[in-house]
Amino acid sequence: MSAMDGLAGVREKRSSRRSGPNGMDRRAYGFLLLAVLLSFWELSSRAGWIVSAYWPPVSHIFAAAIAQLAGGEILLALASTLRRAAIGYIAASVAGIVLGIVLARNRVLRYGLLPLIEIVRPMPTPAVIPPLILFLGVDDALKIFIVALASFFPIFSNTFTGVAAIDDTLIQTARTFRTSTVRLLARVVFPATLPAIAAGLRTATSLCLVVAVLSEMIAGSSGIGYYLVETQYAMRPDLMYAAVLYLAATGYALNRIFLALEARMVPWMGRS
Amino acid sequence: MSQRLGFDRVTKVFEGSGNDADFVAFDDITLEAAPSEFLAVVGPSGCGKSTLLRMAAGLTDPTRGKVVLDGKPVREPPPGVIYLFQQYAKSLFAWRTVIDNVMFPVEGAPRARRGELRAQCRDYLRQVGLDGFEDKYPWQLSGGMQQRVAIARALAADPQVLLLDEPFSAVDALTRMELQTLMLQLWERRKFTAILVTHDVEEAIFLADRVAVLGARPTSLKEVIDVGLPRPRDQLTTREDPRFLKLRHHITASLLARNDGHVASA
Ligand SMILES: Nc1ncnc2c1ncn2[C@@H]1O[C@H](COP(=O)(O)OP(=O)(O)O)[C@@H](O)[C@H]1O
Ligand SMILES: [Mg+2]
Repeated sequence: MSAMDGLAGVREKRSSRRSGPNGMDRRAYGFLLLAVLLSFWELSSRAGWIVSAYWPPVSHIFAAAIAQLAGGEILLALASTLRRAAIGYIAASVAGIVLGIVLARNRVLRYGLLPLIEIVRPMPTPAVIPPLILFLGVDDALKIFIVALASFFPIFSNTFTGVAAIDDTLIQTARTFRTSTVRLLARVVFPATLPAIAAGLRTATSLCLVVAVLSEMIAGSSGIGYYLVETQYAMRPDLMYAAVLYLAATGYALNRIFLALEARMVPWMGRS
Repeated sequence: MSQRLGFDRVTKVFEGSGNDADFVAFDDITLEAAPSEFLAVVGPSGCGKSTLLRMAAGLTDPTRGKVVLDGKPVREPPPGVIYLFQQYAKSLFAWRTVIDNVMFPVEGAPRARRGELRAQCRDYLRQVGLDGFEDKYPWQLSGGMQQRVAIARALAADPQVLLLDEPFSAVDALTRMELQTLMLQLWERRKFTAILVTHDVEEAIFLADRVAVLGARPTSLKEVIDVGLPRPRDQLTTREDPRFLKLRHHITASLLARNDGHVASA
C-alpha cells in the first residue's frame, strides 16, 4: 500500500471522470450490473429459490430503509458513528502528517520512534480492542482511539514515503534561498508531499468508517455498528440490510466528497 | 555589488560505503571568479562539475581546502549566492503559480513591502520574456519557459553570484541559444558574478570571459583560457569569429587529450 498505488488509483479515477460521454457510459454499465444483481436477489427470494428468514426480498429492504428514515433513528445512529469516525480521523491526520514529515526529515527522531511504530503497525485493529477496553472503558474514548489508531498508519506511511521521495533538487533550491527549517517544512516539504498525503488520507477515509462500525459492534451502545448487532439479535434482517445500505451509501459519498476536495486542493497532482 | 568567489586548494573525497574505495572527485583545485566576471568551467559529464558548484553554494563542504566568498569561507548557503539547476522542472515548486515561484525568495520580507516586491517580480518575469504567464503553473509551460521561471526567481533573490549548473543542456538547440542570449543580457544588466559549468565547449566560449578546463581523473584544473571575444556577443557572428573557432579547437583538443590519457592508463 505505497503512496504510488494510491496515486495511480486517483489518476485513473480522474481520467474516467474527465472523459465525458465515455465516462457516463461506463457508469451506466455499472448501474446496469447493479440493477441486474438486485433483480436476481428479488427474484431468488420471491420465487423461493432461496428460502430463508434472513433473505428478504430487496423490495422489503428498501421499504425498511424508507421506514427507518422516517423514524429518524437510523440517522441518529449514523450521526454518532460519523462523529466518532471524524474525530478519530482528524486526530490521526494531524498526528500522521506531522510525525510523517518530522520523522522523515529528522534522523534522531526517526531512529527513536520508527521501531515503535513498526511494532504497532501490523497489529490487527480488532485484536487491540479487548485490552484497550481495560484502559479506556467501552465509551467514546475507546472507539475514537481505535479509529485514530487504524487511520494513523496509512496517513503516516504515505506522508513518510512521500517526504522521502521529494527530489533533493527541490530541497536544495529552498536551501540556497536560505529558507529556515520551519519554513522549509511548512512551505516546501508539506506542499511537495500533499499528493502522497492525499493518497493516505483517502485510504484512511474508508478505513475510519469501517473501524468505527467495528468498534461499535464489539463494544457499543449507539451508532450503526451497535444498530446492526441489535437488529441481528432482534431477527430483523430487513432492518439490518437496510442499515448496511446506508453505510455503503455513506462510504460512497465520503469518497466522492474526498475526491472533489482533492481535485481542488491538489490540482498539480501527477503533473510535475 | 557583486562578489568574488574562489576555490582555494579544494579537494573533495566521497567516502566509499562498505567495500567501495573512497572516491576522489577532484584534487587540489584553485580557481577564482572576479567580481562581475563570467567564468566557465568545462569538463565531461561525471567529472564533478555539479559537486564543485554545490560547494560554492554551501550545499556541501570540501574535504580539504576552502571556498572563499569575498574573503570569508563559505559554510552554509551564503546570501546572494544563487544556484540555477540543470533540472529546472525539479527545482520549481509545482504547487505554486509562476509568479508565486518567483516570489519565493522574497517572501520573508515585511508584509508592507509585499506589493512592491510583487511588482518587481512581475518585472523579472517580463525581463525573461514571460509576460502574461504569471498565473500559469509550471507544468503548463514548456521546458525552456520553465527554466526562464527559474531564472526570474534567481533574479528575485538579488544574486551577487549566480551558479549555473548546465542550465541549458536539457532544452532543444534553438531554445538553448535564446536562453544563452537572455542570460548574457541579464548578466550585462545586473553585473553579478557568474560561474557556469558545462560540457558544451561552444557554450562556455560564447558566454564566458574565461574558460577553465578540467583535466584527468581525479579531476584537476588543466588550464584557464582567456576568451577575449568582444561583447555584446551574437549567436551568429561570435560563433563564426575565427578566434571563436580557434578557441573551440584548442579546448576540444584539450578535453579529448584527457580522454585518451584516461583510456591509455585504464
Ligand atoms: N553524494 C555523493 N556520494 C558519492 N559520490 C558522489 C556524490 N555526488 C556525486 N558523486 C560522484 O561524483 C562524481 C561527480 O559527480 P557530479 O558532480 O554530479 O558530476 P558532473 O556534474 O560533472 O556530471 C560522479 O562520479 C558521482 O558519481
Ligand atoms: Mg552535473
